Amino acid sequence: MYEPKIIGFLCNWCSYAAADLAGTSRIQYPSNMRAIRVMCSSRVDPEHVLRAFVNGADGVLIAGCHPGDCHYISGNYKTERKYVLLREMLEQFGIDPRRLRLEWCSSAEGGKFAQVVTEMTEELKTLGPIELGAGD
Amino acid sequence: MDKLKFAFYWAASCGGCEIAVLDIDEKILNVVEKADIVFWPVALDTKYKDVEAFQDKYIDVCFFNGAIRTSEHEEMAHLLRAKSKTLVAFGACACFGGIPGLANVSDRDEIFDLVYRELPSVSNPDKTTPQLTYTAPEGELTLPQFFDTVKALHQVCDVDYFLPGCPPTPEMIEQAVTAIFEGTLPSKGSTLAPEKALCEECPLEIQEKKIPFIKRPYQVTPDGKRCLLEQGVICMGINTRAGCGARCIKANMPCRGCMGPTPEVADQGAKLVSAIASILGVEGEERMTEKEIEALIAQIKDPLGTFYRYTLPISLLRRKVIKK
Amino acid sequence: MVGSIMVVGGGIAGMQASLDLADSGFRVYLVDKAPTIGGVMAQLDKTFPTLDCSMCIMAPKLVATGRHHNIHLLTNAVITNVEGTPGNFTVTVTMKPRYVNAEKCTGCGLCAQYCPVEAVNEYDERLTLRRGIYVDYPQAVPLVYAIDREKCIGCGLCENICQAEAIEYHQTPEEEQVNVGAIILAAGFDEFEPDTKKEYGYGRFKNVVTATEFERILSASGPFAGHVVRPSDGEVPGRIAFLQCVGSRDENSNKYCSAVCCMYATKEAIIAKEHNPDLEATIFFMDMRTYGKGFEQFYKRAQSEYGLRYTRSRVPCIEADPETQNLLLTYETEDGTITKEEFDMVVLSVGLEPPKSNQELSSIFGVPLNEYGFLDWKIFEPLKAKDGIYACGAFSGPKDIPDTVAQASGAAAMASGVVSGERGTLVEEKVYPEELDVAEQPPRIGVFVCWCGINIGGIVNVPEVMEYASTLPNVVFVDQNLYTCSQDTQEKIKQAVEEHSLNRVVVASCTPRTHEPLFQSTIREAGLNPYLFEMTNIRDQCSWVHMHTPEEATEKAKDLVRMAVAKSNLLEPLKSSSVEVTQSGLVIGGGIAGMTAALGLAQQGFTVHLVEKEDHLGGLLRDIRYTVSGEDPQEYLTGLEQSLRDHPNVTIHTQAVVEKVEGYVGNFTTTLSSGEEINHGICVIAVGGQEHKPTSYLYGEDKRVITQLEFEDMLSKGVKAKTVVMINCVESRDDTKEYCSRVCCSEAVKNALQLREQNPDATIYILYRDMRTYAFREQYYDKAREAGVVFMRYDPETKPRLEKKDKSLVLYAHDSALDLDFELHPDLVVLSTGVSPYDNSALSQMLKVPLDRDGFFLEAHMKLRPVDFATDGVFMAGLAHSPKFIDETISQAFGTVARACTIVSKERIETEPIIAEVDEELCCGCQVCIPMCPYNARELDEEEKIVKVNEVLCKGCGSCVAACPSKAAQQRHFRDSQLSSMIEAFVRR
Repeated sequence: MYEPKIIGFLCNWCSYAAADLAGTSRIQYPSNMRAIRVMCSSRVDPEHVLRAFVNGADGVLIAGCHPGDCHYISGNYKTERKYVLLREMLEQFGIDPRRLRLEWCSSAEGGKFAQVVTEMTEELKTLGPIELGAGD
Repeated sequence: MDKLKFAFYWAASCGGCEIAVLDIDEKILNVVEKADIVFWPVALDTKYKDVEAFQDKYIDVCFFNGAIRTSEHEEMAHLLRAKSKTLVAFGACACFGGIPGLANVSDRDEIFDLVYRELPSVSNPDKTTPQLTYTAPEGELTLPQFFDTVKALHQVCDVDYFLPGCPPTPEMIEQAVTAIFEGTLPSKGSTLAPEKALCEECPLEIQEKKIPFIKRPYQVTPDGKRCLLEQGVICMGINTRAGCGARCIKANMPCRGCMGPTPEVADQGAKLVSAIASILGVEGEERMTEKEIEALIAQIKDPLGTFYRYTLPISLLRRKVIKK
Repeated sequence: MVGSIMVVGGGIAGMQASLDLADSGFRVYLVDKAPTIGGVMAQLDKTFPTLDCSMCIMAPKLVATGRHHNIHLLTNAVITNVEGTPGNFTVTVTMKPRYVNAEKCTGCGLCAQYCPVEAVNEYDERLTLRRGIYVDYPQAVPLVYAIDREKCIGCGLCENICQAEAIEYHQTPEEEQVNVGAIILAAGFDEFEPDTKKEYGYGRFKNVVTATEFERILSASGPFAGHVVRPSDGEVPGRIAFLQCVGSRDENSNKYCSAVCCMYATKEAIIAKEHNPDLEATIFFMDMRTYGKGFEQFYKRAQSEYGLRYTRSRVPCIEADPETQNLLLTYETEDGTITKEEFDMVVLSVGLEPPKSNQELSSIFGVPLNEYGFLDWKIFEPLKAKDGIYACGAFSGPKDIPDTVAQASGAAAMASGVVSGERGTLVEEKVYPEELDVAEQPPRIGVFVCWCGINIGGIVNVPEVMEYASTLPNVVFVDQNLYTCSQDTQEKIKQAVEEHSLNRVVVASCTPRTHEPLFQSTIREAGLNPYLFEMTNIRDQCSWVHMHTPEEATEKAKDLVRMAVAKSNLLEPLKSSSVEVTQSGLVIGGGIAGMTAALGLAQQGFTVHLVEKEDHLGGLLRDIRYTVSGEDPQEYLTGLEQSLRDHPNVTIHTQAVVEKVEGYVGNFTTTLSSGEEINHGICVIAVGGQEHKPTSYLYGEDKRVITQLEFEDMLSKGVKAKTVVMINCVESRDDTKEYCSRVCCSEAVKNALQLREQNPDATIYILYRDMRTYAFREQYYDKAREAGVVFMRYDPETKPRLEKKDKSLVLYAHDSALDLDFELHPDLVVLSTGVSPYDNSALSQMLKVPLDRDGFFLEAHMKLRPVDFATDGVFMAGLAHSPKFIDETISQAFGTVARACTIVSKERIETEPIIAEVDEELCCGCQVCIPMCPYNARELDEEEKIVKVNEVLCKGCGSCVAACPSKAAQQRHFRDSQLSSMIEAFVRR
């Protein structure tokens, strides 16, 4: 059975903490995601996302603090704008924009984090493995 | 000292690079004084078989312009690589794929369909498209393969130097040729242009990089003083190499990126997405709703075509996915 | 004199006070009666008015407090005796046994999984069960389990399962004597227990809950995982009623107002509505007391955006339908109609009470309590309990989080003021061996894979992961540990670094958020730079969440290790640099806030420049003639001014304004209008505010119409008027000024009482919209009513009208409470016009600090950084921040002193190691990075035309790095190459 591979960029203060909380709460979710911790979601560069796809990721998750909750005051607003533009461009590249996901998870939302990974895994299963480039 | 042997070749290109060579004006005489041109399809009647007959490394410097669009281009790239001591990717198309590289949002079938079947000016009742071989009464004719994907020169063979620009400016060409004559070329693989981005040599004034909206160039009357990006016009000078003398800017047009990305950038489009989405709407960002963000970002028309105007084939994704 | 301070109570107040003290050179003993610190804030879902996630904003403070090497936590502890005098107290602390060895417990939680005993979970407000061995919540500090011996059956399962051998059944109470120079009481509050109010059926009706219970219900980490359901049947409630003033403003329980309930009810209703947009939420209230900064706007949004219904009525009783468990409320609206309405759920907005332990604390510490059982404090000394003992937070009365935090910093300043001469004498600095230079060496990586008892090893095949790690490039040593965090493993790691010449260390275990500093310290002890360390989380984010798929978990662990190793290859040693600090302050504004801050700093031993635009000090306080509690403000002011003028550390610059500010935290240079240049390390903005001058109600046209301050002046000279009408909220809470000015209701009451005293026959009306006499100010509102002051409520739609008819004033008023029109003939009309900010734009630009939409200065964080700016080294106090009372201004001003001391107490400040840097060869000066930085750490070098990073100001978020179009910017420890290496190692090749 096809198992999608997901890279998750998690901000240190909220979403990484949410992922930890999912653990302490023993909430079970699929094992398809590998996390890369960054200090703030705004550190995630669209180049990282493309690099992830090129390196075999079927999906990329960016997770940060809720708007207004950013540990660095306003980083996540930038993340959101970058995400909206990048999604549009991915579509032009023929990559289903559902392969890139931005989610806000507070450090109290272990359940939400688990749910996001679960949903994303399911969705990627229906999308199938990522196809890039091709052609001669 | 023996005269050097130069070659010029054009692959998928518009011909502008050829003109650029002539644009060095009377300095061409200095070149001719010191170098013989042994191959230059646009100007000399040298055949491919003549080139094939050259000994390996016969050519001292080959200036190769244009992208790799067909099997002919690729064959010539390999051939000229073998016959040249130094291979220079000349111009944006050879360096990054250039404008022809934008065809990577499409593929052979789509292009053939459009060009040979769908365009209103086409009269092609049999719906014929170019074939690799055709048996004519006189014998079998062959055509080069038209690839799905346009490539830059270094993606098909080893390249020694990159001289970017659409086309490279006379000053850059002159500098490169001078370096060749004087033996002062930098290390192999170098781009013969400055490392910093265009803002370095841009005459416009920077006030504050916060942009509330995006406008197409025709929608604004630039004031000729302030940074175009700050006036809402997408200018790629922020991560496009300097070296062109900011010619477009001086003509009140934004930089479109023909000098290619600065050295650390792996994907010019992605970095532009990052930079421009970051500063667009930054003022008052905390009050913006999701819908307002979407509407704001939607002001950027055709992000792929804009941000990868010259560099799509060398981007991380290289092309649009072909659904087969 | 002893350079240490004790803080009693580990809630947000205690944590803030401890951090401020520890960061400015004092040893701190933080005592909490609970097994872990955190207090009530740890239970909250979100905080008003920004709806920040409470745990998200508090967790960094929790961790910082727990980790601070100069804060000693004494948890599960009570104070049994205090002796000595200010500067030298001896406190006896009794530590109750937790039956778990705190040194050995790793917090892995295995014991709780196996414990067969269930007990009521107090943290979840009794809505769920916990185990007999427990921690309150996963982020708890210290993360050490405790056994509830009342419930424990002594089965010994935990002892058997605990691989760290931390269970100690036979612990007995321990006594410790602590020597401290000063004490801060931050004991917090208890909730009003609504059981006593039988009419609300709390305890009988399942769907009647307290607001804190509802807070847990709203919380994603709460009993229903954030699904808003009602306790009786787990159904989603469609109609929720919030009943205000339960246990507040009540003759039969607490007379005072609890100050926070109007806001928290509004907040909870909004969050509930966000969970279920169809929810009908009704708040039953008497006066809507949304008086704080941004609160009025929040209240307005609650109505306009969220459609909350506010009904002005005190509901007398609740009945329940035994079948549906729905609740029937019978109430009388203002027009006298009796309405019966059914709700699915009722939330009781319970008030704040003094903790039951206050009486005991009061007798042990010898500090006075007021009639309500909170600390008895004085208006000009709001933070003082007695000499050497200070107080903050709800211990001295109900208050919200920002006021609490400002007070906590303030109390820290007062406490450290007692022993300022002992600064630095008791702090400990860890001494490390010299760092090895490994820069030129090829990577030699050691990988340590943790079993975490069986937390990881029971699921993930640890030997296999370890074996796999040994095959990765440049890995020269691998090991597995039962507990990688245990003391003996630290020795093993150090040994391995030495024996195998490791120059990179990777630990695969739990979360770096709690354990990274431990391992970094370990490798530092072995001579490696702490940033040559990488950690990956194979427990919280692997074994614990993939318990049913051990093979997948093992594969994931391998992938995570491979990614961590890939990054570790590229790790670089990081050093923080340091810059010298000008150990002095500049205070802008010579009112009560500025004067207090300046004197406070001076008393801490630092030189201070106080700049005042007028030719005299005192600011707005000069216009305050008396206080409601009978003190003489002018006498206080004279004394304060004298102390300032007498203090050798203070230089006063009157008739001077700031013209130019250059520099940054630790190194400002300010030019005054006099031309004088001042070097200073920090800056306090205390520019104050002014009474708003109205344009309505014939003000300026008729001399009989005056403002409250003008009336106060008049009162000081004697007022003869017979009929005085006061109108509140004049040009406030409307289009002129959206915000509530907080002080006017109480000012009106004060002046009314003063007039009553002078002129017992006068007829006094106060026309108001909501009486916002919050906290203990309620007593004066009561007193005014008793004294016959007529209170008449008006709605904004039917504002009073003032006309002049033949020289006399006629006021047409509509009493909305009685729905009756009145015609009054006042001799004097007094307008409560509120507080306006000065034009602060120039100062805001010079210091690069923001203003809010109303023109007041905007703090770094509404809740937890009320006197700080996002820009380091700049602070604010008083009316410059928002309208407030004298005692609140004084608290804030002291707050800025403590915050400033965390900077000026140091000769040098160290920069963060993980910050942005700029490759000057690549930066083209495009300046995209500058607006990215909320801390003003990005500056254009005008000469070189490149943008540099101010290393002192940078907090290392990486926003500017991602935005830099040419990658001239990089974030240390999160470089592009380092992140890319992880991405490239993501798929096994």
